[in-house]
Amino acid sequence: MPFTNGFVGFENYRMLLQDERFWSSLLISLIYTGSTVLLQVVIGLALALLVMNMKRGQGWFRLIAILPVVLSPAVVGMIWRTFMLSPEFGIIDFLSINAGLGSQNWLGDPLLAMVSVIAIHTWQWTPFAFMVLLASLAALPEDIYEAARLDRASAWQRFRRITLPLLRPAIVMVVIMRTMVALTAFAAIFTVTAGGPGTATEILNLYAYRKSFTELSIGYGSALAVALLIATILISGVLFALRRAK
Amino acid sequence: MTGQRIRNVIMLAISLAFLLAWAFPIFWSVLNSFKTDLDVLAYPPKLTFTPTIAAYRDVLFGSESILPNLVSSIVISVGTTIITMLMAVPAAYALARLRFPGKKFAGFYVLATQMLPPVGIIIPYFLVLRNIGWIDTYQGIILIYLSFSLPFAIWLLVSYFEDIPFEMEEAAYLDGASRLRTLWRIIMPQARGGIAVTIVFVFLNAWNEFLFAVVLSGNTVRPVTVAMFNFVSVEQTLWAKLAAVSVLAMLPVVVLGVVAQKHIVKGLTVGAVKGGGRR
Repeated sequence: MPFTNGFVGFENYRMLLQDERFWSSLLISLIYTGSTVLLQVVIGLALALLVMNMKRGQGWFRLIAILPVVLSPAVVGMIWRTFMLSPEFGIIDFLSINAGLGSQNWLGDPLLAMVSVIAIHTWQWTPFAFMVLLASLAALPEDIYEAARLDRASAWQRFRRITLPLLRPAIVMVVIMRTMVALTAFAAIFTVTAGGPGTATEILNLYAYRKSFTELSIGYGSALAVALLIATILISGVLFALRRAK
Repeated sequence: MTGQRIRNVIMLAISLAFLLAWAFPIFWSVLNSFKTDLDVLAYPPKLTFTPTIAAYRDVLFGSESILPNLVSSIVISVGTTIITMLMAVPAAYALARLRFPGKKFAGFYVLATQMLPPVGIIIPYFLVLRNIGWIDTYQGIILIYLSFSLPFAIWLLVSYFEDIPFEMEEAAYLDGASRLRTLWRIIMPQARGGIAVTIVFVFLNAWNEFLFAVVLSGNTVRPVTVAMFNFVSVEQTLWAKLAAVSVLAMLPVVVLGVVAQKHIVKGLTVGAVKGGGRR
């Protein structure tokens, strides 16, 4: 077939299934996405509940929370990599030394590097979950809580039986939006570790990029990108189904 | 009562810790940008020092000035925002008001483009732009940015347009106003809030974009998010200058964020209720 110049059929996909680096990057993507989304929602919700009950100072939270969200993930990554995580004079390492944990190789150790990129993503996007959930909390009807209080429901009962069910649509929506973003995250890892050390923080997105533009196998890189697209569709499909199932 | 009190204090301490955690990296970068390299590298980290604007002077007017990159960022983000809005407002109006075949599919298509992993579409984008010689040009980068900002803007605007009662337009039509005139005179003023939210988000996304910028930019057109890398290399990091560049890259979006705070929260919640959105 002369008109399909260099056409290889499904060869790239056959290679992909046998490629260990593909499977490990897919796993890293899933760990990265799962942990960052969980942390964002749990911390965001806890803080929203806390701030909701504050009589003063809510404005400060709204103001500060907007800051990380508007920043470029590339700039955030750069700041963390240098001024926060550098050995000794980096603030996190300084705190670690003072806490008696000693100076750590935050971005050089495979496990710590993974923890670091997860922490950075969580730092930047928890305010997003916080702001959305705080706004949703503020929109909940007041009188249900009055009734619950009259019935002497405990704080935990009120949260479990009233707040959580009413907030469920907002929480599910935050989970969906954050999952999509975390799955296709790029800049914040690219600037911090570039996937390293080795391939310890190489999410699928980054692997596809490296294959296409560093190793110049555009065909195989595209196959990886399609694999990511399929993963995204499958995961969002499951999440949207979860949203419909009340 | 005292148990309650202790709990309140603990809660306050936790929330203050989070405020500090969110603000500190930004605050620390600002502080570092007024230091010398020696002060940046000092151990223990210095909170008091003799401030200097040498880093800013160097990165703005020195031999490796990032002024051209700031210009690139501004041209790309402002250009993308203007063109997006000019096209998104009529498109969103059509989706919200007109009846035409395939409307439902068009709406779904707009949303679906938001879900594509950027790395998947960047390879074809790159090949197309290279073939027509548009790599490293404003028109090339803005064209590609439109491909994600336009669907997003349309999707966000539709929700605002749909909320405007149809009766208002009807009155205008009865008075003999044309569709365009009605859009301009009736719909636009009513949807001012939604348009502001959309402008803010489109600008933020364009200013902060990184992956497309890395692949599609070059020596002529290189936004500041990419140019930042000039200050960190394997051999050495120019600490204070890097801090100054980071602050300059953060400044417009932080100012916009603080000024448009209410709009941003509103945009986020509209997104959360309706579902989707890029960020």
